[in-house]
This record gives sequence, structure tokens and C-alpha cells, in this order.
Amino acid sequence: MNVTKSLAELCPLLIDEIYGELPSRIYSTLITRGRSTLSQLRHYTALTERQLRHGLAVLIQQNLLYFHTDSDTRTTTYEANSRPAYNLVRTGKILEMIETSYGPAVKDVMQSLFILGQTRIEDLKAAYKVRIRQQDEVAGATEDDIMFDGAEVAPAANKPTLPVPSIAKLNNILCRLVETGLVEVVHVQTFASPEDIFSDVSDRVMRNKFPGGVKGAKGKLEFDEAVAMELRKIRRESTTLKRKLEESGSAAKRRKLLNGAGVNSEHEPEGDPVLDPRQVIRVNYDKCVVELRNRRLVDFAADRIGTHISYVYGTVLKLLSKHIPRCHDDPLMDVGEMRDEDTRPRVVTTNEILNSLPTAVDVSQGVAKVSKNRIDIYSATAVRPNPPATDPVSAILNGNNEEDGGSDDDSDYEGPNGHPAADDSAAVDGDGGVRFAETTHKENRVDMLRQHLYLLAESELNFIRHCGEEQWTVDFKPLIQHLKEAELDVVIEHTVGRQGLRLVRILRKRGKLEEKSLPTIALMKKPDVQTKMLEMQTAGFVDVQEVPRDPSRTANRTIFLWYTATDRCISQLLERTYTTMLRCLQRLHAERRKEKDVLLLTKRTDVKGREQEVMAEGYYQRFAAHLEAEKKLLGQVMRLDELVAVLRDY
Amino acid sequence: MSRGGRGGGGFRGGRGGRGAGGGGPVIPGMDENYEFIEKKPSELYPAYNVPSAAPLTKKEEKCVSYFLLFREQVHDGPLYTHTRTLSLDNGAPVRTYGQEQINKRYGVKNKATVDPFLAMPTYSQRFTKQERALPDLASRPFAKEFFPVELHPTLDGDDGPMAGKKRRLNGKKTLALSNITELRTAEDIFMGGAGTEGDADSATRAQALLDKLAEGEDGGVEDLLAEDEDWVQNNEDGEGEQEDEYDDESDNDDYNAEQYFDDGEGDDDYDEGGGGGDEY
Repeated sequence: MNVTKSLAELCPLLIDEIYGELPSRIYSTLITRGRSTLSQLRHYTALTERQLRHGLAVLIQQNLLYFHTDSDTRTTTYEANSRPAYNLVRTGKILEMIETSYGPAVKDVMQSLFILGQTRIEDLKAAYKVRIRQQDEVAGATEDDIMFDGAEVAPAANKPTLPVPSIAKLNNILCRLVETGLVEVVHVQTFASPEDIFSDVSDRVMRNKFPGGVKGAKGKLEFDEAVAMELRKIRRESTTLKRKLEESGSAAKRRKLLNGAGVNSEHEPEGDPVLDPRQVIRVNYDKCVVELRNRRLVDFAADRIGTHISYVYGTVLKLLSKHIPRCHDDPLMDVGEMRDEDTRPRVVTTNEILNSLPTAVDVSQGVAKVSKNRIDIYSATAVRPNPPATDPVSAILNGNNEEDGGSDDDSDYEGPNGHPAADDSAAVDGDGGVRFAETTHKENRVDMLRQHLYLLAESELNFIRHCGEEQWTVDFKPLIQHLKEAELDVVIEHTVGRQGLRLVRILRKRGKLEEKSLPTIALMKKPDVQTKMLEMQTAGFVDVQEVPRDPSRTANRTIFLWYTATDRCISQLLERTYTTMLRCLQRLHAERRKEKDVLLLTKRTDVKGREQEVMAEGYYQRFAAHLEAEKKLLGQVMRLDELVAVLRDY
Repeated sequence: MSRGGRGGGGFRGGRGGRGAGGGGPVIPGMDENYEFIEKKPSELYPAYNVPSAAPLTKKEEKCVSYFLLFREQVHDGPLYTHTRTLSLDNGAPVRTYGQEQINKRYGVKNKATVDPFLAMPTYSQRFTKQERALPDLASRPFAKEFFPVELHPTLDGDDGPMAGKKRRLNGKKTLALSNITELRTAEDIFMGGAGTEGDADSATRAQALLDKLAEGEDGGVEDLLAEDEDWVQNNEDGEGEQEDEYDDESDNDDYNAEQYFDDGEGDDDYDEGGGGGDEY
């Protein structure tokens, strides 16, 4: 990840927010100065070595640094790792996501891992043991109180239960987390920067396999593949626990073997193998981002097509993402034919989807009924074995036209029963003419599900691809590109209005356009177009290219071509988003300085717990207002983070 | 983003701009249609419509509160170091040029920077939380094989002036999970504390409970009760912390930088610090 100025300022601020000033100060120096040794750092920061060592230890514990110890000179260099530092802002979102999809107990463990950084499993277990024991003591104590005081403390009898009640449960949760890949193993190479690993590996490969040097294009290719294989081997170190668990059978299988009955029963955690207590684990952000991407795509589908279909889509994504360890392929590692088995595109079958679709989802809802002769069955059910062309945008845009026509037909047609749809089940095309049929009992669940899948595949955004008989897959790349463009469009519309957005879209579709032809295509007045284009050029959304027709380069003998560079717009937008996040956090600091006396007072130990007696009304008002402002600012930062995620990480 | 930026008419002005007379080069985007360019100088501060963000949705609020809880828990833990940036509070310039100025920005707590109006020890200062300038690494275990060798003594807590005569922690170190389990909002803090007040308050509280019951919301009652309990717990925590703090003061806490420099016990550190010893 290349680090720009705003990002380099944002990351230390985030670290300051969470881990305090000392680590943030060291990190900030590292990110601006590049990799440095301890003595260099001392020179830069004017901190003592003791302070630096403490700060570095905290940073490494929280996985925020890379380091490299030279084998000859025994000196260690440290390097800032900006990704986990940025990911700090995502903590709240990840925890929320884990709570909704895995439950509060898993969230609790995950939260502990976030707080503790890399943790040895036995230490984690010991920590939980202490907490459980404390809880037992508290429970015992309150029982005594009830004996003495009678009804006074009766409410305490309703004792708060710990989210993780036993060590066996903790083990079960850890197994689940490791299996899903949300937690990974820390290994020797975790803290080596990718560049170090790469140079190390290519040196080794060169020594061992190509002692005579690499010759020719073929040799180069072989060398690259050998390096990629070694790199993949290192990367797979972090999934050792996961693979061990998979060898002993998946969790669901184990549970089934144990009690034979329901998959949902949570009472048999003893069936899980005890994880090696010496292993050190940490949160795997890559996988978390994959899960966040799923949620985002489901929302996108719900926006574009309808809520019911988004449930189906969610199930498809969930099944697929079991085998997706990260959102982006590594350009160095995932090359050639011999890819990792986890990175190969996966397919799901209709039956798999049906089996894991929650029964609460009513598949008979949300799809319009159209008589058979109005549907082009061949194109709707066509199997597309290959992913779209390398230039996904244009390919999809071209394919768009025919599909648009088809779906318009569908939506104008009234279903055989002619009943108007319920308002909450979303319209298929937004044209208002869609009628939903009443549930016909003849059609079973599979058929209805298939309809949903066809609809998803047929959508202009190609949410899924029908890649074989009854087989479905998702091409994430073009889909995310659409998502990015959608986000960009929102920004363009807010900045320059609807007409500007229209012009940009025309340019995106047509490529470069001459100034004179633009008004005719856009069906706008020439001056209007020119004003808008200038406005958008200032904002950086479009640009002009001058092509002189003769060597004199006079303006009237020059062709002026307007174009929009979507990728550049996106990176510009990303940069602006970082800056905005940075400003939000700086504002938060300013707010804190403004309310310093109140905040100091609330932190006092004699005030804590007795605020109402001790603090004056005015102070309370200021405190509440400050917390409200803090919430708003952080909420805004998280919204912006969503944008960053779409533009950069998904 | 583009406010006021249009008045200048600087569109490719480098090549003649608005040429005087008809003979000048015709610039596309400007040819016969001059009208759309504002000829007046633009206002210095044009009216600007500040967009306001939509209120947070429930989900977003949850995300924010989880983030805040995570922050509180880390601040509660041993690895957190307090913010001591002082010079910014005194109105020092925010913009910095060069590393030296950046370094100066960070607070230095020594006798020269003490605020004479607040430096006098007062009784209430006993209750302010002690700032920690260095993380307390000795209190928790680390997976040392993943740290560079030069940091190992630091992780053991053996890094410092007293390294030799360091008190050894007996027994195995354990990780501590944070006691903070819930984020308290301003309302919780102020309204939740009502339980200990006199009879009048408990009466209103009982009334609130009854009201909730009348509404037939079992969950509501539980919430209220839970809140109560939370308060009791927190109060206990508070007392516990207070006691801890007194303990800290009595024992020989070598991470307390001020104390260390004041009594001048650890003179051996100065040569290591090399002039930067006054920091923190």
C-alpha cells in the first residue's frame, strides 16, 4: 500500500487515539522517515532509548510494525505497517459484523484479541479463567448479600452472565474463529515486511535452483513461479492451525457425529480438539475485510434489485467466501497455473445454496411473475463459463443494451394474477409497473430459488455468473468496479449536480469525445455543457486533451478531446477521503482541548461513579454535548471508512 | 472544492487568454459564448452551503459504541500511554517545519514548564489519575520469540535504571482482561447514579420501574435492573482503583518519571539519555 501524506498523518492519529502518545510518536517518525534502527530513531525523535524500546514493544505487540534483524550485523530495523494502523478505525465495524453473524460470545473473544494484540492461546485461556473465577466469586458474594440484606439487593440475583462461561466454550469459539480464518497464526515471518521476504526468497531460489543465473524469457518465467511458490509456502504458515482443524473434520461434522441431532446445538463444545496452547494467534484483517465486503455487496444488491433477493445473494456470498482468504490477489504470489487451492475461483451449486438458505427466507417473494412466452429463456438461463473480458467496464456496458430492453419488457407486463405487489417487497426494475404473483403452490422452493439466481445473473451488474449447469460463481472484480463507480457517481452528483454526472457518464461510456459533439450527445445547450465541463475540470473529474492538427499548434487548428479517467478520479477521491477523516480526528482533538477541564474532572477517581452529586449541571451539559460531538465525528469517520473500503480494499 | 475558483477565467490562460480584438486565437470553451464567464471579481467569501451529515443509523451507532468501548478498554490496559501534549494547549502553532519543531510540540514535563498556578499540590490532586508515560510491560506475558532480541529485556520489565535491583514478579504473569464491560454514556453516568440518592430518588426510580411494567415491557425492566447493577459494579471498581493508586504511591514505582527525576536516584540513566533525558 503506498502511503500518501494524509494517510501518513491519519495513521499516527489513530494510534494516538487508541494506544497513546508514545507509540504514535514513534510510528509517525517511522512512517515519514522509512525504516530506521533504534539509534536513528533516537536521533529523529529525541526520545530516550528506554522510551523507544517500550514504544516499539507496544507497536510490535499490536502488529503495527515490520522489523528485520540483519544476520551479520545483528542490528534491527523497524518499518511502519500502515494497513493494520488504518484498520484500527475499522475495529467497531468488524466487532459489530462479528456480533451479528457469529453472536456475542465470539465477539467477546474477538474483542479480547483486538485489545491484547498477538496472544498465546494458553495465556488467553488463563486470562479467561481468571475472569470466570472472579465472576463466580462475585456471584457467591451477592448470594451472601441476599442472605443478609434480604430484598434490598434482590436485583443482583439476576446476575449478568459472562459471554464466555467456560474454557471449553472458549476453545470452541477459538476453533470456529480459526476455521473461518478470522484468526490466524503468528509465525516467524509475520513481522518481516513483504519486500524483505521477497528479496530473501528470490535470493534463496537463485542460489538453490538457478546457480547459473536466469537465462531467457522462459527461465525468467520459471524463476518467477519458483519464487511465487516459496512465497505462498510462507503465506500458508499463517493457516497451519486452520488446516490442522480441517484435517480433523469441520465443526459442523464433529457436532453431528457427537449428538447426531441438530446442527444448532451449542452444548457439546467438548468435541472440539484442544488447540495447541503454544501457538500465538492474532486477528486476520484480510478475512474480516472479505466478510465486510460480503455485507456491502448484499446491501448493494438490496439497493439495486430488492431485499428478498439480497438474502439469497447473502447466502451465495457466504458459501463462496468460505474459501476466499483475501479480497485482492497478490500480484507476486498468485501468478501462473499452480495457484493456491484457496485462491482459485469457487463455484456453488443451486442445491448447496438451497441447503444453507435460512428457512425464514421466503423465496416466493420478491420476483415478478411473467408468462413463459415473454421471457427469452435461452438468454436468461444461458451458461457463461468464462468470466467477462479483461476490460470489464466496456464489456458490461456493451452487454447492457440488450439486457435493458429485455427487462423493460418484463416490468411492463402484468402478471397472470394481476394483483398489485405489497409495498415492502421491492420492485424489480423500479419502473413501477411490476406486479408480483401470489404464491403458487405448484412451484417448489428450488424453482423459486433458481428464479432469484437467474435474476441476479441477468442484472446489468452481473451480481453472479451462471458458470455451469446449476453452478454459480461471483466475479468480484467487475462487480467491485461497479460499486466504485457508483460511489464516485454519488460524489460527482453532489459536487456538480445531475447534469455533470450525466456528462461524466457519457464520457465514461464513449471514451474521448470532441468538444463539438458533446452537446449533441448530451442533448444540452452548448454553453451549458461548456460551463459544466469547466466546472468539472476544476473539480478534477474530467480533463481535456489537445491534439494539434498541424505543427503550428494554433488553437483553432486543434482538436480538443474531453475524457474522464475513472481510476484517477477514484484515487483522487480516496486521497480526499483520507484528508477528511484526518480533519475529523483533528477536530475531535480540538474539541477535547476545548472541554479539557470537564474531561479531567470526569476522569477523577473521586468523581467517577458519583458524577451527579459532585458535578454541576453546567458541567454535565458540557460533558454530554462533548460525548455527542465525539460520537458524531467518529460516526462520520466510519462512514468515510466505508468509502475507503470500497475504493481501496474490496 | 471549487468555490470562487471560476471567476479568474484562467482556463488555459497561458496561451493568450481573452485576446484583445478579433485577431486573437479562438479558444474553445470561450469562443463566441463569453456570457457564461463571470466578469465581476468574485466575492471574497461567497455564501457557502455547508452540508450536514445525516444522523447516525442504529447500526452505525453500534459500530461507534463498540469502537469507543474498545478504546476505553485499551486505555484501561497496561499498554496505554497517556497523552501529554502540552504545548498545543498553550496556543503553540499547529503547523510545524522540520523534525525539531515536531519534537518540541510534544509535552515536556520538567520544572521549567510547570504552571505555577497549578503546581501547588492540592488535596484534590490525589484523585486525578496518574499519567503513565511508559507502558507497563512487566505486568503481562509476551510471545517473545516474535520480538527482536534487543527488546527482550524491555519486555521482561528489566529495562530501566533499576534493572539490576529490579523487583521480580513472582509466579507466572497473566494477561488481564479489561473490567470495563460496557460503555457508559453521559446519560447512564448521570441518571444511572440515581439509585444511591435519598428516598425521593429511589421513589422516582421505583416509579420508573412501575411505569415500565405498566407498559408491559419485560425487557425494559431488565434493562433498568441491569443498569443498576452496572452502577454498583462500577462503583466498586472505582473504589478498587482508588486503593490501587494508594498502593502505587507507597511502593517504589520506577515508571513514575517525575518521581524518578526528582529524587535523583537513578543517575546512571543520564549518560544513556544523552541530553534528551529531560523528556517526559
